[in-house]
Amino acid sequence: MSRSRSPEELVKERMERIEKAIDLKEPDRVPLFIFTCGDVLRKYAKGYELYFNYDKTCEASIRFASEFPVDSLGVVTAAEGFVFSLAFADYPDIAPSIRFWSGPMHDALLDRYTRWPGRELPEDSILQFIGGQFMNVEEYGRLSDDPISFINEVILPRSCLNLEKPGSAKANASLIRLGVEASRFLKFLGDLAVGLAKVGIPSLPLTFAYAPLDFIGDFLRYPTGALLDVRRYPDRVKQACEALVNPIIKIGLSLKPAGAKYAFIPLHLNEYLSPKLYSEFYWPTLRKIIEMLYDQGIKSLVFFEGWHDIHLETILDLPRGWGVAYFEKTDVRKAKKILEGHTCIMGGIPPSMLLQETPDKIKEYVRSLLEEMKPGGGFILAPGVADIPKETPSENIKALIEAVEEYGRY
Amino acid sequence: MPSLDELIDAFIELDEERVLSLVEKLVVEVPPPDILEACRKATVVIGERFEKGEYFLSELVYAGEIFRRIMDIVLPRLREEVKPVATIVLGTVEGDIHDIGKNIFKAFAEAAGFKVIDLGVDTSPERFVEAVRNYNPEIVGMSGLLTIAIESMRRVVEALKQAGLRDRVKIIIGGGRVDEYARRYTGADEWADNAMVGVRKCKQMLGLEG
Ligand code: B12
Repeated sequence: MSRSRSPEELVKERMERIEKAIDLKEPDRVPLFIFTCGDVLRKYAKGYELYFNYDKTCEASIRFASEFPVDSLGVVTAAEGFVFSLAFADYPDIAPSIRFWSGPMHDALLDRYTRWPGRELPEDSILQFIGGQFMNVEEYGRLSDDPISFINEVILPRSCLNLEKPGSAKANASLIRLGVEASRFLKFLGDLAVGLAKVGIPSLPLTFAYAPLDFIGDFLRYPTGALLDVRRYPDRVKQACEALVNPIIKIGLSLKPAGAKYAFIPLHLNEYLSPKLYSEFYWPTLRKIIEMLYDQGIKSLVFFEGWHDIHLETILDLPRGWGVAYFEKTDVRKAKKILEGHTCIMGGIPPSMLLQETPDKIKEYVRSLLEEMKPGGGFILAPGVADIPKETPSENIKALIEAVEEYGRY
Repeated sequence: MPSLDELIDAFIELDEERVLSLVEKLVVEVPPPDILEACRKATVVIGERFEKGEYFLSELVYAGEIFRRIMDIVLPRLREEVKPVATIVLGTVEGDIHDIGKNIFKAFAEAAGFKVIDLGVDTSPERFVEAVRNYNPEIVGMSGLLTIAIESMRRVVEALKQAGLRDRVKIIIGGGRVDEYARRYTGADEWADNAMVGVRKCKQMLGLEG
């Protein structure tokens, strides 16, 4: 059994398991993937440390991985920062390093998108991405004409206190500080991957993309603002979404030379939209991005947040084997009925169950879930909300790992 | 003079411009409470369409916005306060800043005749306790979208117990991450991950409607 394998062998075995599932094949067993935004890591480190101290985060992640050997662990103890990547989309050496926004990056620019423990918040709280409305409706034209310039020249000075006066000594110094932080963050990501590999856990080689309408909602107009714009100014919104496609693809491709194979795309407004609005304002440009990245050898790992049930069929528009559909609340069994043989499905574990149930109940749940999801391959088991609550009893996480070992074999 | 039925239809169809121009005309002659009653009727139908899967969240957000704009016109003309069905103290719990769902619930609860005291986001247990003391509501509503929000909700229930206020109020939790597990864990009386169901449960808890 796995106890006798070296970490290198384990990394290889687990990676193959995941890759086979993504390629719609049956691996040796169903892989178990855990993403965390840091909540479960607070078992090992204070929230504050997770955001500001990369070494502590690294250490906490490795401790979690040693105690709970899953097939892969994704760690994101940072805020959404895609707007900063977009500002630097023409510079592939910079864009991906600021895609996730860490506490020290916030210190450098003093952005208004995020609030941090020990800064705007009490030390023991968790970080807050609050977003905001930094663009008015009259500015859709400028955004559409040249998104990168618009973000640099208009949005960043509005959204970051330290960039208020572009070209000032303060602004320039802040950008240099950001650069220093970005390289420290990259080093952290490297250290983390190496550290996890030492305990036998592989990290997926990720790059990043975004749905254009989400970009408008999260960074420019606020989510509700974007939704109202869709009603009141449909043409402006559509044009802007189109204009964002190319810069986003540039970011997606930026890590390809470094070996990235999967573009992580978390979706936000998908659940809000009727099929009609979705197919008019959201899906066409997102689909284009996924397809263009796929043509360049990058598969996508799309996190379909909330309920995606009514839009499931649209996934069939994509080429078979395009990537991974990670579901949050959508029932993976239902998704399988529609997507089997076409799309690798990920998800299946409600976090509140992990928090509340007994180990036996959890095992029984996994057994019955896998009975349906296992046949034919193409399934990755994962908690459905990109985290596990800190209060989750360790026995329950262990039960999950044992259950997939017991019932997940092909 | 347009009729209230026209207003109800326009609101149900989410025809923002028409709704506003109708309200501007109606408000001159029709008593504000009648306009609010028309809004209530419209939101009930909007809620039904949502539950039937004909309307989606974007329609609810839009309906909430239209309702807000109607209130902006009507409220200043409301001479005496309409007696509310009951009072709800509502807030997004500590550590969580998601409030789109909370605001939708608020709009629908108000349209249904509840008075809503909105504590905003990232609301500490102490602030809930204080608000219950000050406003003496029948219901405490908590919203939360983060998994950690469940823990914050539990702490609010705990704090209300400590303050000896738990038995004076009914507690309902809402937001995308709540379910029966969460209800049991937090010690709330009810849960809803749907604004319409939430409003219905609020009424049921008070024995107002079957
Ligand atoms: C929009 C959104 C945001 C917006 C929020 C804007 C706002 N003002 O609300 C922004 C971009 C700012 C944001 C920020 C963040 N978000 Co966010 N966000 C979402 C998203 C995409 C949608 C949430 C939403 O509005 N749903 C729609 C509303 C209408 O639904 P609802 O709240 O359930 O409300 C309905 C019912 O529940 C009910 N209801 C609501 N409240 C109440 C109350 C009562 C009493 C009753 C009866 C009923 C009721 O009525 C509503 C209508 O039916 C979700 C993913 C998802 N699809 O759920 C992630 C999500 C909630 N976010 C998440 C995260 C992690 C964050 C951030 C921490 C990101 C970051 N790393 O920076 C920050 C949060 C900071 C913080 N401390 O809170 C995670 C939470 C994961 C977790 N493990 O906890 C989610 C689940 C995404 C994910 N899957 O990873 N987010």
